[in-house]
Amino acid sequence: MTTGATPPARPAPPIRLRPAREADVGAIVPLLLRLKRLNEEFDPLLKVRDDAEAQAREVLAAQLADPKAVVLVAEGTGAEHEKIVGVVRAVVRERPFYVPEFEGAILDIYLLPLYRRRGVGEYLLTEVTAALKAKGAGVVTAEFSAQNEIAVQFYAKRGFRPVTSIHSRPL
Amino acid sequence: MAESAPASSSPSHDGRKRRPKAVDASVERQRAGETEHLGRRAVDLSRFYAGKIETVPRVPVRSLHDFSLWYTPGVAAVSRAIQADPELAFELTGRWNTVAIVTDGSRVLGLGDIGPRAALPVMEGKALLFKYLGGIDAVPVPIAVSSPDEFLSTVEALAPAFGGVNLEDIASPKCFGILERLAQRLEIPVWHDDQLGTAAATVAGLLNALAVTGRSIGESRTVLLGAGAANIATARLLIAAGQDPRRLSLVDQHGVLHAEREDVDELSVRHPWKYRLALQTDGGGRTGDLARAVEGADVLVAASTPIPGTVRAEHVKAMAQKPIVFALANPVPEIWPDVARNAGAAIVATGRSDFPNQVNNSLVFPAVFRGVLDARARSVPDEVVLAAARELARLAARKGVGPHHILPTMEEMDVFPDVAAAVADAAVAAGVARRPLTHDEFLERARVLMARSGRLVRTLARAHLTAPMPHGPVGQRRSI
Repeated sequence: MTTGATPPARPAPPIRLRPAREADVGAIVPLLLRLKRLNEEFDPLLKVRDDAEAQAREVLAAQLADPKAVVLVAEGTGAEHEKIVGVVRAVVRERPFYVPEFEGAILDIYLLPLYRRRGVGEYLLTEVTAALKAKGAGVVTAEFSAQNEIAVQFYAKRGFRPVTSIHSRPL
Repeated sequence: MAESAPASSSPSHDGRKRRPKAVDASVERQRAGETEHLGRRAVDLSRFYAGKIETVPRVPVRSLHDFSLWYTPGVAAVSRAIQADPELAFELTGRWNTVAIVTDGSRVLGLGDIGPRAALPVMEGKALLFKYLGGIDAVPVPIAVSSPDEFLSTVEALAPAFGGVNLEDIASPKCFGILERLAQRLEIPVWHDDQLGTAAATVAGLLNALAVTGRSIGESRTVLLGAGAANIATARLLIAAGQDPRRLSLVDQHGVLHAEREDVDELSVRHPWKYRLALQTDGGGRTGDLARAVEGADVLVAASTPIPGTVRAEHVKAMAQKPIVFALANPVPEIWPDVARNAGAAIVATGRSDFPNQVNNSLVFPAVFRGVLDARARSVPDEVVLAAARELARLAARKGVGPHHILPTMEEMDVFPDVAAAVADAAVAAGVARRPLTHDEFLERARVLMARSGRLVRTLARAHLTAPMPHGPVGQRRSI
């Protein structure tokens, strides 16, 4: 989650979640790039590559064909019919040394700013968790910039806690 | 502001010819010459007078014996009294009427980051305005700090000496966080004049401009050009005054600020105040550049870059009928008033005293501080700022509003006590006043204290305690 200051409270807009399709890639890529650029704001070690757009297309295409991956999009209804306003990207991974043997890793969640803080993020999280569980995950994890306090809070409120840490230094 | 493509090629509505460019350029050269002359004279006079303010006793001193009252041993009892009841500092010392003018010198006038030492003459000038217009003892406090946190802890440490804090000339966006956090931490009013003073004067002028052109604020399409300290505060205050955020467009160097602009996530981290407005206004239903934003707009408030041509005749022509144009950059407006009027603007305001309708924070801050100090307010909530704007608008209207008189001029100083009383009343109504007096009591106090300053200045001059203003070149002469 990437929300900043509090926008005025408005009723939650009608949103529909569905699995992403090939045809959505063009709409999803800019959302993923926004998220990656936000991560760059948090940490210089997350500087976005020049070819990130092409990479995002490739990664998405591979995931859409991967039975272990889950990509859901949030779609507007009514006046915003078929506009993709958010995306969640996740994958089921084996844990060779631990039980449960499979984890569902949420790699990216992004929502356009106007759709934040209205329960849409929560909805995305609930749905992606269910999809990961259906694919055999016994534990769910979320990956985000350690500097992203809002993400830390978002997940903490929903029962997530730090389990492993990835520490980094430039070479 | 980066320039954008012309708004439209529609012909002038009024059929009048635009002023030739050459005339604007010569006017500009002439004004630059005047500014240079004023600068030389200011340096000479600063040397002659060696500073603009000094400390003057409030008590009689008949002989050194009196110091056993004003100082030790008598003063110890005064200290003990305040130790027992800290609020008594506002009764037994000058704290009730003393304001710190604090800056880090990071954005001084149009000079940029010139540092605290070079900012001192500006803060001295501000202190003189505080005294002369508001009857307030203001102390210039430029501070050498290297971070917002250090800024906060420094001002917090200084607060026991002061009844209020006036923040001045601090770079955006750090000024927003500093104001917000200081206001939370301190039990005295904290004001950032570049945000609140300018915003209150702007809103006051707009209220009358809207009335003169037969508009209501709730239905106006408003464009704010520039998203610095002044316009961010103006946007917030306008919305508080009834502006529909969905008919409000903020435009900066990247164009219209809207919820899906490419840099909006970055803003959520680096500039949450701007981010909030991006979501709240969502571009006022527009995206693109200034030319797109002004199409059909009723009001344009530019507080951006002091370069004429930042706002162009085409922009004004693209606005609604009888548009309102405020071009507030100093020392030169974003569009010269005659250019704006020839393009159809019904009302034009600038930041300058040599054109009609000067939007000037000096109309606001002396009265606001007089009001909050007299009410011993703990803070200055937006409704108090708005009360100042509304009262200023009302008082201008009392003398008759028109296209050339939407705000009181600085010569109409008799309006200050009324604004001060309105501010004090609003502080009482908002529940932040530690000393709720009646309107008439506030008004009388403000009148007496404000008038006293003028008498003081005249009396000091008559007694030759301030040297007469030297005519002509001052050279190396000193006043003492």
